[in-house]
Amino acid sequence: MFLVDAAITGRRQVARDTFVIAMHAPEIAATVRAGQFVNLGWASGPLLRRPFSVYGAEGEHIEIVLKAVGVGTAQLLLMTLGDRLSCLGPLGHGFGLLAGPQSAVLVSGGLGVAPMPLAAREAASLGMRVIWVHGARSSDELCSESEGNQVIWATDDGSRGFAGTAVAAAPDADLVLACGPNRMLAAVAVRWPDALVAIETYMGCGTGVCLGCAVPLERGGYDRACKEGPVYRAADIDWASLPPHLSYAVTA
Amino acid sequence: MTCDLSVAIGALTLRGPVLAASGTFGYGTEVSLLERRALGGMVSKGIFLRPREGTPPPRIAETPSGMLNAIGLQGPGVEALIRDYAPKWAEWDFPVFVNINAESAAEYGELAARLDGVPGVAGFEINISCPNVEQGGLYFGNDPRAAAAVTESVRKRTRLPVWVKLTPMVSDIGVIARAVEAAGADALCAINTFVGMSIDLNAYKPRLSFRTGGLSGPAIRPLAVHLAHQAARAVRIPVIGIGGITRSEDALEFLVAGCAAVQVGTATFVNPCAIAEVHDGIATFLEAKGLSSLADLPRYPPRD
Repeated sequence: MFLVDAAITGRRQVARDTFVIAMHAPEIAATVRAGQFVNLGWASGPLLRRPFSVYGAEGEHIEIVLKAVGVGTAQLLLMTLGDRLSCLGPLGHGFGLLAGPQSAVLVSGGLGVAPMPLAAREAASLGMRVIWVHGARSSDELCSESEGNQVIWATDDGSRGFAGTAVAAAPDADLVLACGPNRMLAAVAVRWPDALVAIETYMGCGTGVCLGCAVPLERGGYDRACKEGPVYRAADIDWASLPPHLSYAVTA
Repeated sequence: MTCDLSVAIGALTLRGPVLAASGTFGYGTEVSLLERRALGGMVSKGIFLRPREGTPPPRIAETPSGMLNAIGLQGPGVEALIRDYAPKWAEWDFPVFVNINAESAAEYGELAARLDGVPGVAGFEINISCPNVEQGGLYFGNDPRAAAAVTESVRKRTRLPVWVKLTPMVSDIGVIARAVEAAGADALCAINTFVGMSIDLNAYKPRLSFRTGGLSGPAIRPLAVHLAHQAARAVRIPVIGIGGITRSEDALEFLVAGCAAVQVGTATFVNPCAIAEVHDGIATFLEAKGLSSLADLPRYPPRD
């Protein structure tokens, strides 16, 4: 884990209201694995840091993907090149991919695309055929960037690709990785109990001490999204007890 | 010039005045990045005799300059603490206090007796902000007799230092402070979190599953400085100030207001190096003021 004073080095739009921000964080770029996250803070920001899956890692830079869902993300999107972020990471346990499976299907919904580019590259480097399945409500909300040997788009309104959810559009494969709203991941758990899913929770410290990011487990009890997670075997989570949707609007 | 930042809390001398607050530092083993050199001491995550699952999510909610938490004292129970953590503490060069919790005065004493003499356990911080199950769930910390009974129960079972962490949710903190001093406390920790609530306007219900939570962070600091000051004026034993300390200036406010030491809590969530920065900032301040030791820091009101 590193604490890096990272300058913002790039920004591009990848969907309606959705942006990728790049920052200079060499130690993190060199060590991050797919599914891990960083916790970002900044001067004049809200009290708590904000967690983001690492979307890209190239050379000395990492990338995150975000849209304005609350006060913190709105402030982040007002920042300009050269502004500094306090970047803590890499945090948590990622997908932990190992060689063996012949094929991997990467299923994402909306901002759940965040951990998938790194996952696609790791899976490809381990010899897997990668199928990229990405869904959103409509075509303008689909992330325009993709990876893998085969790409499947899905939209709720049918404006691009498969008309329906990403889960319904996805074929089976040896390995299933998924990220998206917790409601979508609960559906993943029904279809593929062994899928590896990256979940979203409210988070305090990101380092395992505050116990704020409790994840209810099927076997009973809780563990920490920031430490044991954020990636879990789908069937290990007690989906009925995990908040299905996070509300950020009043966060200040 | 090297400033002497050591402080005496009863018979115990701490190498520095900044401690890690309970529930914000785990068991001291979680964060590798932490600069342990600056720690005057550490208070463990609160422990019960038996394991506790904790409350369902959501457990935390951010508020302006603060956060609400309702973790529910999730923990492995005292036997796991003795087995898994105390042996590590025994090797560290700063004291580790165990924050103890129970549902009856007798059970607090039982917990202290179990931990007394365990290598690595330097003393106790009693969390009296727990419901007294034997008396209809009223909080020990709101009632001077119950607070004193808990303190006495622990005092009788150990010769280690006993600190009592006071709740701010009382009409006169001085009354509680005097009651636990008379019952044998070696020091007071002031204060614990304020009870608060925040509403999710999309769901028309509280943002925390537990409904209410403890409010911490910079939002409570002026309230905490005042209550720590009141507690310090009420007793002769040392008071350790807690509440929203993020920078060294915040810690110095508590020290000038009459506290012997401070604990840093929520700030560690945001900045894993917060304690070291507060510690170093106190030294820088004292040097800039031409003071050679923390003992020379002027207090308010001035001491005789």
